[in-house]
Amino acid sequence: MAGAPATAGSVPTEAPGRAWPHRHLLDTDALTWPQIQLVLDTARHMAEIVSGARPRSTALRGIGVTNLFYEASTRTRVSFETAAKYLSADVVNVSTGGSSIEKGESLLDTMRTLEALGAKVLVMRHATSGAPYLVAREFRGAVVNAGDGRHAHPTQALLDLFTLVRRMPGGSLRGRKVVILGDILHSRVARSNLWTLTAAGADVWVCGPATLLRGFEAWAAAGVGGERRFTVTTDTAAAVRDADVVMALRIQKERMAAGLLPSLHEYAARFGLTEERLMTAAEGCLVMHPGPMNEGVEIAADVAGGPRSLVTEQVASGVPVRMAVLSLVVAAAGIGGGAA
Amino acid sequence: MSALATRPKVDAEIGKAVDLDLSGAWLVDPASGREGPADVVVRAGILESVTWLEAGDGGAEDDRGVVVAPGFIDLHAHLREPGNETAETIASGLAAAAHGGFTTVCAMPNTTPPIDRAAMVIAELAGAAASGSPVRLLPIGAATLGRAGEQLAPLGELADAGVVGFSDDGAPVQHAELFRNALSYAGMLGLPLIDHPEDLALTAGAEANEGLVATVLGLKGWPAAAESNAVARDIALLAEVVRDVPGTRLHLTHLSTAGSLDAVRRAKAAGLPVTCDVTPHHLALTDEWIAGARRFAWAAHGEDGEARDPWRDRGLVAAPYASSLRVNPPLRSAVDARACLQALLDGTADAVATDHAPHTQVDKDMEFGLAKPGIAGIETALGVLLEAVDAGLLPLSRLITALTTGPAGVLGGVVEPGFAIGAPADLVVFDRAERWTVGPDSLRTRGWGNPLADRSLPGVVLLTVAGGRLAHG
Repeated sequence: MAGAPATAGSVPTEAPGRAWPHRHLLDTDALTWPQIQLVLDTARHMAEIVSGARPRSTALRGIGVTNLFYEASTRTRVSFETAAKYLSADVVNVSTGGSSIEKGESLLDTMRTLEALGAKVLVMRHATSGAPYLVAREFRGAVVNAGDGRHAHPTQALLDLFTLVRRMPGGSLRGRKVVILGDILHSRVARSNLWTLTAAGADVWVCGPATLLRGFEAWAAAGVGGERRFTVTTDTAAAVRDADVVMALRIQKERMAAGLLPSLHEYAARFGLTEERLMTAAEGCLVMHPGPMNEGVEIAADVAGGPRSLVTEQVASGVPVRMAVLSLVVAAAGIGGGAA
Repeated sequence: MSALATRPKVDAEIGKAVDLDLSGAWLVDPASGREGPADVVVRAGILESVTWLEAGDGGAEDDRGVVVAPGFIDLHAHLREPGNETAETIASGLAAAAHGGFTTVCAMPNTTPPIDRAAMVIAELAGAAASGSPVRLLPIGAATLGRAGEQLAPLGELADAGVVGFSDDGAPVQHAELFRNALSYAGMLGLPLIDHPEDLALTAGAEANEGLVATVLGLKGWPAAAESNAVARDIALLAEVVRDVPGTRLHLTHLSTAGSLDAVRRAKAAGLPVTCDVTPHHLALTDEWIAGARRFAWAAHGEDGEARDPWRDRGLVAAPYASSLRVNPPLRSAVDARACLQALLDGTADAVATDHAPHTQVDKDMEFGLAKPGIAGIETALGVLLEAVDAGLLPLSRLITALTTGPAGVLGGVVEPGFAIGAPADLVVFDRAERWTVGPDSLRTRGWGNPLADRSLPGVVLLTVAGGRLAHG
C-alpha cells in the first residue's frame, strides 16, 4: 500500500496493476494473474525470512491473528500459526473441542466473541462450503479461508503454485500439462487450483472415477470463469500420459459408505499414482499431494517419497505463502498493530 | 394509465366492513373472462354494483395502472403457529398475506406439533378468528400421524373439522404404499392429497440444484431427478387409485423442474385428476443467484433457451452463499425456471403458490448449507410475477387467474373468486405503475431475510378486502 508505514520485511514494491485490493482471501477466483504473481513475489521475499537470510518481520506486531478451526487440521493450522509468528503477530488458536461451538453457538456469535477478544485476522476452516463468506460479511478485520467444505482452499492453491513455479524450468506453467487426480467432487483443493492453474496458463486435466467427477464435465465445457477450459477424464492412463505435473488427492473412507466407490483396493488399482503409471508421463514429471496421504491408495509410497515428489516442499512453501497472504490482507484491511 | 386521480381510500379499520367507490380502474374478472375499465361500488362490505365502462368513457385505457382483481388465494403458506411464533404467527402471517393481496391462505400443517388432529384444526381456526384479520385461513391437515410417514392421520376427523386437503409438506410421503392409501382415503372424502415431491434418497445433505453453480461453489447437488422421480411415482399410483376411487385428486406443490412439469403435462393429457402449482421464486430466480447473480430467470438464458454462464457474463454482482436463497426445492437452472413459466402459460400449472416459509434470524442467518430452507415470499409474489408481466412473458390476465380461479379450482369450489353482486366483496386493488422497495420495514412477515431485499418491485397493493372487510389498506 502506498504510504503504508515501512516495517522490517515489508512487502515488495508494487508495480502498477498489481495492487492488492482484497481485505479477505476467501478463494482464488477473484484474483487476477498480476495479483497471484504479487503473492508469489511476496512469498519469495518471506521465504528469505524463514531461511534466516533476512530478519524476522514485525509486519503484524500487535495484531491478533485467530485460527478458528471447525475441522481437525494439523498441517494447515500449524502452518498459519508459524507464518503469523514469523510476522510477529499475536496468535490465538481456537479448535472445536470444548468451546462454545460445541454448545451450539452460531458462527456469527462466535466471530463477534473473537472480535471482541481482539481478533483482527480470522483464519478459518469450516466443513460447510461458503461459511467464510458469512463471517466476512460482518467481521471488521480480515478473513482468510483455510478451507471451507468442498469449496475452496486458496492458500493451498497458492502454495501449490509457488512450489511448482519454483521447480518449473523457465518458472512458468504456460502450456504445461497439470493433472489433478482423485476425488475431484469433494475437493476444495481441486477447485481452488482450477482457478490458479488455469490463470497460470497450464493445460489442466482432472481425472477420477465418474462418481467423483460429477458436474465437472459441464464446468470444463463452460470454462473456469466462463472462459478457461480444462479437460475431464476417467482414464488415468490418458491423464498421466505426457503430464508435467500430477497432483494426487486424498481419498476419504466415507466414500465407500456413501456408495461412491466399491473399495479402496479397486480405487488404488484404477486411479492410484504409481511409478509404473508415471512411465508415460513427461520426463521429469513432478508429483504433488496436499496431504495427509493414504500411501498405497491414491499414491504409492515410493512415488510419495521419491525424487519426483514435491510433497515436503509443498508443506514448507505453506509458511512463506501464508506470510504473504497475511501481510497483504492486513495491509488491504488497513489493520494497524499495537506497536509504533 | 390509470384514470384514478387519487388512490382509493377507505375509512374503515382493519377487520371492519368497507365502503368503497372505485371509479374507472382496470377490472380483471377471471370468472367471466372479462377485463376493462369499470366502476365498483361496495357498501357495508357488500358488492353493490360493477359497471363496465366503454372506451373513452373516462376509465383506464389499459391495464398498466390501477388494477382491481378478486382477492388472491395462496394454496401453500407456512404460518408457524403453534410452535415457532418467533418466525411467524397466524396474525402476522395473515397481515403479510393481506399486504400481498391475498384474501385466502391455505396453511400447511407442519407446525409444532403438526395439525394432525381435529382439535388442532379447531385451535388454528380460532387463532385466525382471534387475529382480527378478515383473511380466510383454510387449514390443510397432515396426511400421516405426526407427519412421520408411518400411518394415516385421522383424515375423516380432520375433514369434519374443516381442512381443505391433506399434506405432509416439508417432506414427501416417502412410503409408496402409505401414499397410495392416503390418496384413496382422501379421495373418498372428496379432498385433494397435496404432495411435496422429493425422493429423499437423492437429496440427503443436498444444498443447491445440481449444476454448474453447485459444482463451482462446492455445494452438494440436489438433482432434478429427485423431483421428477417422486412426481412419476405419485402419478403412477394416482392412475391406479383413481380407477377405484373416482373422487381422487392429487395436487403436486412447488414443482420446479422441466422434467416433473412434463410428467404432469402428460398426466393431464391422459385425463388424470392431477393439478400442480409453481412458486414465484422458482419462476423468477435461479441457482446462479447463490453465486451472486441478481438477474431474473428470463435474462439468465439465451435465445436458444440454454442457461447462460454468469461468470462469462460478468453477472456476479453480490456476495455468494446468501442463505436467504436456501429453499426446498432449491432454486433451479434458467431452463427449469423457463419451464415453470411455460407450464403456467399452457395451463400445466394450475396456480402460483407462494410456499411462504418464514424463519427466524437464528435459523436463517447462518452457513448456507445449515440454514433452514424457505423463502417468506407472500408479500413479494405479486411484484415478482409483475416483473414477468412487464418483461412481456406473462399476460396480466394469466397472472390473475393463477392467483384466483386457478387455485380455487384446485380446492374444488371452497372459494369462488369473482364479482358476485350482493355478496361480500373480496378483492385486491394494486397499482402496477408504482414500485416499492423490499425490506424489513416494508414487510409484515416476521420471517427474516427476503432474497429480494433492497430491490424495488412493481405493484403496490393499495387495498385488500376480504369477505367485505378491510384486510390491508
